[in-house]
Amino acid sequence: MNSSNEQAEMDDAEDFELADLPDDELVHQIHDDLYDGLKEEIEEGTNILLERGWAAEKVLNEALVGGMKIVGIDFRDGILFVPEVLLAANAMKGGMTILRPLLAETGVKPIGKMVIGTVKGDIHDIGKNLVGMMMEGAGFEVIDIGINNSVDDYFEAMEQHHPDILGMSALLTTTMPYMKVVVDEMVKKGIRGDYIVMVGGAPLNEEFGVAVGADAYCRDASQAVQTGQRLLQQRRAAAGA
Amino acid sequence: MNVRARKRSAGGREAKLAARKEASRKHAPAFIERRIPVYEMLDEGSLELIESNADTLLQEIGVEFRDFPQALKLFKDAGADVTGELVRFPRGLCRSIVKATAPAEYTQYARNPERNVIIGGPRTVLVPAYGSPFVRDLDKGRRYATLEDFRNFVKLTYSSTGLHHSGGTVCEPVDIPVNKRHFDMVYSHIKYSDKPFMGSVTRPERAEDSVAMAKIVFGDEFVENNAVMTSLINVNSPLTYDSTMLGSLTVYARHNQATVISPFILSGAMSPVTVAATAAQILAEALVGMAYAQLVRPGAPVIFGMFSSAISMQSGAPTFGTPEPSLVLYTVASLARRLGVPFRSGGGLCSSKIPDAQAAYESANTLQTAALAGVNFMLHTAGWLEGGLSMGYEKFIMDIDQADMLAVLLHGVDFSENGQAMDAFREVGPGKHFLGCAHTRANFETAFYRSKVADNNSFEQWEEDGSLDTAMRANKIWKKMLAEYEAPPLDPAIDEALLDFMARRKAQFADQNY
Ligand code: B1M
Repeated sequence: MNSSNEQAEMDDAEDFELADLPDDELVHQIHDDLYDGLKEEIEEGTNILLERGWAAEKVLNEALVGGMKIVGIDFRDGILFVPEVLLAANAMKGGMTILRPLLAETGVKPIGKMVIGTVKGDIHDIGKNLVGMMMEGAGFEVIDIGINNSVDDYFEAMEQHHPDILGMSALLTTTMPYMKVVVDEMVKKGIRGDYIVMVGGAPLNEEFGVAVGADAYCRDASQAVQTGQRLLQQRRAAAGA
Repeated sequence: MNVRARKRSAGGREAKLAARKEASRKHAPAFIERRIPVYEMLDEGSLELIESNADTLLQEIGVEFRDFPQALKLFKDAGADVTGELVRFPRGLCRSIVKATAPAEYTQYARNPERNVIIGGPRTVLVPAYGSPFVRDLDKGRRYATLEDFRNFVKLTYSSTGLHHSGGTVCEPVDIPVNKRHFDMVYSHIKYSDKPFMGSVTRPERAEDSVAMAKIVFGDEFVENNAVMTSLINVNSPLTYDSTMLGSLTVYARHNQATVISPFILSGAMSPVTVAATAAQILAEALVGMAYAQLVRPGAPVIFGMFSSAISMQSGAPTFGTPEPSLVLYTVASLARRLGVPFRSGGGLCSSKIPDAQAAYESANTLQTAALAGVNFMLHTAGWLEGGLSMGYEKFIMDIDQADMLAVLLHGVDFSENGQAMDAFREVGPGKHFLGCAHTRANFETAFYRSKVADNNSFEQWEEDGSLDTAMRANKIWKKMLAEYEAPPLDPAIDEALLDFMARRKAQFADQNY
């Protein structure tokens, strides 16, 4: 809101209470508020829908995920900028914090949980942070274990958080082979099948992802979201079958 | 009858070609001596403001030294305030440490003394690109680099008149185990070139191995007293140094070897989005690293390095050749001069994937800026593609053409009698042409820069020659350069000692890929 014009426009706009809006308008407003990264408004809107008797799952899918889908598309298309998406993801996180326990109570599968970290010897984290942000934006619970992670660090995080997805990032050819060390150790311990492993970082490619035994290589943050959603869906479908 | 004495085979086609080849070799100086002024963009007050802001960053916010107690101790003893791993510095402390003992310029020795470079002052040393995991050429496309590619780029650099330094990780030889790569890289620089080179920094032990190999070439005592390597230390901006880089920095400084202390900034992610803020942060970070080197060993040569680009606010991807980083570059170059240390920046930076118009424009923007700003050590001069992810064979050729041009530009204007050429006017007079006059005959070969890549022929001739674009022409050039490459002689005893050292060291630990 840096231009005074914009400010004037806002002042002119009619004041309203979220609670006064009918359901369809409120959902639309939540989409707009997510787009604008308004965390408090998202929390408020989420609570209102719940109070109106909406199931947590419905709030999640129609109001929040629906809204973030638009954010995701506009980020991919270069309409929204990184700081805006960061705010939107943060607003989404606010809504998810309210919904998560309710979803668990009703036995609805949460969207998913991811542990992500940069591998040992490597301190590059800008890309990893973007991936974490976008995953959160899509409703995933993300546990970011930072940079320079050893096999033990990854294992500790998996044990503690039981994620669906393990994400590893590396930007150096000297550190990216360490991903294989982690995957091999998972195989050795018999837990490889319990997790979806996704890897990324500029010096990697599709082939390398296969070579280290990951389920997927992701070229960018948007693709990481899509891949995570797809693989998790497949896994759940397979488990249900 | 007047018979002129003539020698057989002293003239004609062959003799002329040989003479020209010899001349082009002779005309390749070891580095550029600058004879035009640097472009000072800012006034005194603006620079003072940035210096004051840098001091405030160091005093108020401080710098973190991760997992490296030795640096904490040295700074504490020097008067800094240490809390955990965070160090805060009294105003002016780092500056006074640097000013007291860091050399304003130094000589980096090469195994061929004619290739020694002086780094600092009115000089510019051009260095190939560094660090890319991939290579690219027109024939085989983009692929992981191998040791063969590494050797090729060392050879191409050796054969390039415009590059004065062999560089470091000219590309990453991904086919060699991670923990042994550095041996092959250092050896390749020594074996296939006689220009100065950079050592390994990815682990302190690898820095020690680099020093040990340099000692085989230059002798123990010489190395301990003279710079024979200049190595790259990146700051983990914002305001953080990690143990890998500090460890390698310590090794090199202890052996009196030079380091380039480089805040490597993608503005927007690693610094605030504005020029003045980025410059203040760069100054603060570089001051601390250079001061640390002086505390480890007073007088150890350091270069104030900086790599500045911006991220795309729409995707997070690094961008190059845009105006803001140029403004940062001019600013920081002035700050380095005020501090009295050599300055590194610039290069043929671009984010294009292929050697196209985007690559050329972006690279030209940074190369020109760096040249005018007065960069002393220009890493990434040749080969850089894709934000440093790829080393391009054709791009390399396009860039060394630019490097040769920069040398001419920086040499400035010749005001000798020959430069003024008054005799040419007297000989030719009004209304005629200068093509055949004595002055032109004496100067034509070197008068104008002749690009090796550009095509200035008629449309018809260009078409007849195959309608080649820049990259296609460059493709032929690098192949020819490699085919004609001849290794500089290396004392067989030294070669054997190096190979023996490598074999012994490599046998001491198992291959490891991380
Ligand atoms: C599910 O999991 C997933 C999924 C998708 C994932 C994922 C995980 N992780 C990433 N993705 C994907 O999604 C992201 C968003 O779209 C994308 O992430 P990216 O990270 O690719 O993209 C980011 C948004 C922006 N990109 C970046 O942030 C990386 C940019 C480049 C220029 C880069 C930077 C910025 C830095 N560096 Co470094 N650095 C380079 C990089 C060259 C390049 N063009 O990539 C590279 C990687 N670095 C290199 C080098 C050599 C080094 N660096 C070093 C240091 C640094 C800085 C600290 C200065 C800084 C990092 C700051 C930070 N906080 O991260 C040193 C190492 C330090 C260490 N111990 O790790 C040092 C060794 C420097 C030296 N002195 O030699 C080169 C690699 C060489 C090699 N061996 O492979 C390099 C290619 C540049 C070069 N030519 O020198 C995708 O890859």
